[in-house]
Amino acid sequence: MKQLQMTSPSSFSQITTQKIIQMNDVWTSYDSKSYALKGINISIDRGTNYAIVGQSGSGKSTLLKLMNGMMTPSKGTIKVDYQTPNVNNKKFKLMMHKIGYIPQSLGLIKNLTVLENTLIGSLPRLGKFQSMFKIFPEEEIQEAKKILSQVGLGGKEERKAYMLSGGEKRRVAIARAFMQKPTILLADEIVSELDHHTAREIMNLIADAQKRLNLTAIMVHHDMQLALEYANRVAVIKEGEKILEIGVEGDKIVDFQTGDFTTQEIMEMYSDESKK
Amino acid sequence: MNQRNNLVIGIIIALVVAASYNVDANPIDFFEGLPNLAIVAEEMTQVDAELFGTAFLSMFETIQMAFIGTIVGVAISLPLSMFAARNLNSKFVYAPVRAILAAVRTFPSILWAILFVIMVGLGPFAGVLAIIMYTVGFVAKLQYETIETIDADPMDAVSSIGVSKWQLIRYVVIPESAPHLLSQMLYMFDYNVRQTSILGLVGAGGIGFYIINYIKFFEYGKAAVFMIVVLVTVLIIDWISLKIRDKYIVKSQHGMEVTAK
Repeated sequence: MKQLQMTSPSSFSQITTQKIIQMNDVWTSYDSKSYALKGINISIDRGTNYAIVGQSGSGKSTLLKLMNGMMTPSKGTIKVDYQTPNVNNKKFKLMMHKIGYIPQSLGLIKNLTVLENTLIGSLPRLGKFQSMFKIFPEEEIQEAKKILSQVGLGGKEERKAYMLSGGEKRRVAIARAFMQKPTILLADEIVSELDHHTAREIMNLIADAQKRLNLTAIMVHHDMQLALEYANRVAVIKEGEKILEIGVEGDKIVDFQTGDFTTQEIMEMYSDESKK
Repeated sequence: MNQRNNLVIGIIIALVVAASYNVDANPIDFFEGLPNLAIVAEEMTQVDAELFGTAFLSMFETIQMAFIGTIVGVAISLPLSMFAARNLNSKFVYAPVRAILAAVRTFPSILWAILFVIMVGLGPFAGVLAIIMYTVGFVAKLQYETIETIDADPMDAVSSIGVSKWQLIRYVVIPESAPHLLSQMLYMFDYNVRQTSILGLVGAGGIGFYIINYIKFFEYGKAAVFMIVVLVTVLIIDWISLKIRDKYIVKSQHGMEVTAK
């Protein structure tokens, strides 16, 4: 009894500090009539590789944009590292550089080079004068080159972004996010359009960095197979609702938070996607 | 459906006829006047070749005026367009800037030229100022419209990093709109050369001064020399800007098929 009293407060605080993202009954709407997200509850531990799976239009991209303050909910609360994501929130603005965000379309600047696109990730660290005249400190340039070779783009630093292949473009977007020295990485279906082999190369790249830097990676997927392969936690979103959340350990599903499905059923639900 | 279309076409034709009546636009006058044109055309064939030297010199002056006007005009319109873009500013910033630009655009360049002739006197400088004003009004509008159509994804992706607005402009807005700006500059230069050619009508320098004076004194053969020079120059500029466009703009717009050497 005594022991329990001793341990419970400390373990409680440990649990709360671990939560890097918490969403509580979050609703969003594009117009007054319909909701894109309907009462989403999500809590993500620091260092998790979290996957959000759902079909097009299920609201999964919206979830990411809520986490980096690009959108605000119409109802409910969101905390990212104890701050409410909103570009008008000064405290959040100061930590935005800690959140790497790769939209589905990647958001590269097509007329800038690979190196310049990567260096954009270091802009929050750069002074006003230096950024006006594109004067990047030597150590940032070296860092960018190091990251580029890590993602397999060594030697392509001076290429313009529009000249790159789909897989290479994704690597640049990842490099830009890594350049931010992030603690959270948000990626929106960045491997959906790639072939099986390239998709796994990109996923491995993120998985490696995620373990090395203790990143919290939150990745939206179209493909359940891919999510089960890489994530430790998978949430399934359908028509704006979280219908299922599972923990994954190796090829085993370890816990269910919502829903009542078997592994077989989960894969069957997404068999159409996996065959693609 | 078809009947309604016919009705609309009928109404448009009726409006054209009514408006023509109001402005005395009579096709018969046009055909009766054709012989007059033939007289002018015949006189124009008697080209005074001795004037080609003067014509080239004044054309050179015109090109220089258009060049200064375009470059300075674009340089002024660039920051203005940043303030006029709706996706970068609040209403309180873009609305007044847009109103000013709209006011600037209301005046055709020839009216600006008259105004500046009064201000700085006869000569090319008044023409240059007129071209600058005209360029600012137009390029700023074209440019803010371009900025507003920039893909929202790079803007979102980069602003989500937490960069300042000036960094966003420097690293997203300018590079993303640069090919359009180049294209607009070429278009504007091309247009300004033609415009500057007539600014001479109000004494604001350039080749137009000669054209209007020779026409006034019915020396169509001499005027023709200058008109030929304008024609050739405009064709050459057209050709050059086409080449530049092909090289720098088309490539980056449809860059997907371009592979590195």
